[in-house]
Amino acid sequence: MTIREFLSDRLGKITGQLCCTVSAALFLLATGTSSGVIVLLLLFLLLISITTQAAEYLKCRRRLSELDVLMQGLDQKYLFSECAPPPRTVYEQKLFDLMRCSGRAMIGAVSDAQASMQEYREYIESWVHEIKTPLTAAKLTCRHLEPDSRRKFSAELAQIEAHVERALYYARVKSPEQDCIIRQTDLADIVSQAVGNHRTLLIQSQMKIETGDLDFTVYTDRKWAVFMLGQLLQNASRYRNNDSPSILLTATRCGRQVRLTVSDNGIGIPAHELPRVFDRGFTGSNGRTRGGSTGIGLYLCRKLAALLEIDLQISSEEQKGTAVTLTFPARQAAETLQDCKTNPY
Amino acid sequence: MQKIMIIEDDPLIREELSLLLENEGYGVVSVTDFTDIPEQIRDCAPDLLLLDLGLPEQDGLTLCAGIRKSSALPIIIVTSRDSSADEFHGLSLGCDDYITKPYDVPILLARIKAVLRRSAGVPDADVLAVNGLQVSLTRGTVSLNGRSEELTRNELKILAHLMTHAGEIVSRADLIDVLWENQIYIDDNTLSVNITRLRTKLKDLGMPDCIRTRRGMGYQL
Repeated sequence: MTIREFLSDRLGKITGQLCCTVSAALFLLATGTSSGVIVLLLLFLLLISITTQAAEYLKCRRRLSELDVLMQGLDQKYLFSECAPPPRTVYEQKLFDLMRCSGRAMIGAVSDAQASMQEYREYIESWVHEIKTPLTAAKLTCRHLEPDSRRKFSAELAQIEAHVERALYYARVKSPEQDCIIRQTDLADIVSQAVGNHRTLLIQSQMKIETGDLDFTVYTDRKWAVFMLGQLLQNASRYRNNDSPSILLTATRCGRQVRLTVSDNGIGIPAHELPRVFDRGFTGSNGRTRGGSTGIGLYLCRKLAALLEIDLQISSEEQKGTAVTLTFPARQAAETLQDCKTNPY
Repeated sequence: MQKIMIIEDDPLIREELSLLLENEGYGVVSVTDFTDIPEQIRDCAPDLLLLDLGLPEQDGLTLCAGIRKSSALPIIIVTSRDSSADEFHGLSLGCDDYITKPYDVPILLARIKAVLRRSAGVPDADVLAVNGLQVSLTRGTVSLNGRSEELTRNELKILAHLMTHAGEIVSRADLIDVLWENQIYIDDNTLSVNITRLRTKLKDLGMPDCIRTRRGMGYQL
């Protein structure tokens, strides 16, 4: 609170005091008090009023800064009214009671929302696990179909699987600490697992997979990395160039980090849409014209990458292709991350 | 014959899995009563256990830990719980492999085979032989009547697959599938090139029409 703010707040009161003093002085002058005495008296009154106002200003400022510090120290700001120091005046008490009442309502609403989010997340997770049983049964049963329909059927099942997987990770990304285990992992393993998971789609798209040097060790959560890579492979197949589509997966060491590049020769992304591809629900002109795009895959990639401290970058040129780089953290960074996450064991 | 015990509560999966494994030449026992599983295991003494985690009576992980206490029976956990934590937990309880649903049939079979081989300590058959044609998987060579030719990785996998399915028609799509499972990401054109090279090598050995093309269906050895 600045002095100007304080004074403008008190303008009415000070003006009132001034009017009273002036009329009292006029009255005294009229009743024959000598002007010297009145001047002395006025000076005295001015001194008193300046002192009290200054004291009040300082008190006000101290209290506000105390509350400010308290607020800054709070992790959950809406708990402020629960932690604020007790009020000193009746007026403050009334305001405080109102604030606390509103704060309590807020706390209730927040914890209700959190609980229902948690419940929903748990429901999604259990739903995903439930749906996997009939999916497995369907996959096993479709062996009996004749080859052509089996292939079509498998492709559809693979799509269902990909959607289900995204739903699961969408639920997980909200409370990641329950599922993240950072371990030393071979990059080549991550790549071959991701390619293996999406084999049906990639073969069907007649995608040519080229792999460069992948002989690196990274510190990350294998499942999450496989999932992220899977999203990139799916995108590359979806937005492929129909004439000999290919994906190149290769890695380089830069300093103590390992950088994996996934580049395709697909239809690319218009430059003005590129900054928004990681936004939730953003499908872009390619997604709209080709259909079937959800705008969730890359959004989840960005979220998971942030949690794993992977730097995710995308570059693209229309009709030339798209390249996504994932820079895995150096060992130390990964270890500190592991410390932050609650490992269940 | 190696015996595999299936502990799975979904009837359709149980049925299909039994069928699949029987076709692969394993003896199969499916558990339908989930109350006294340890006893059933003792009674039928299987070589491998395929264990689902979400069982009606008892949690699969507890069961796994219980079995591990008294025996070294190989256990593969097959489950829809796929978090890293679950997998870590399962492996730390002593299961030999952890496969998540929905699995691919060839991958499941390969991992069953690997666990059984590991537990028996028997190396995989190295030499495949059909009609006098011999393929050594470890040396990567094909030989006939004392003459031999070296094969590339792709050619070896293709020929080995055709030989294990000798007489059957193997479609191009199946071949591509098999190669992808072995991290050979081959496309249609490359497959044609590889088949042509393979035929040339077999011709040099004196078996010119070894791999027949069945128009519109695939290849046949």
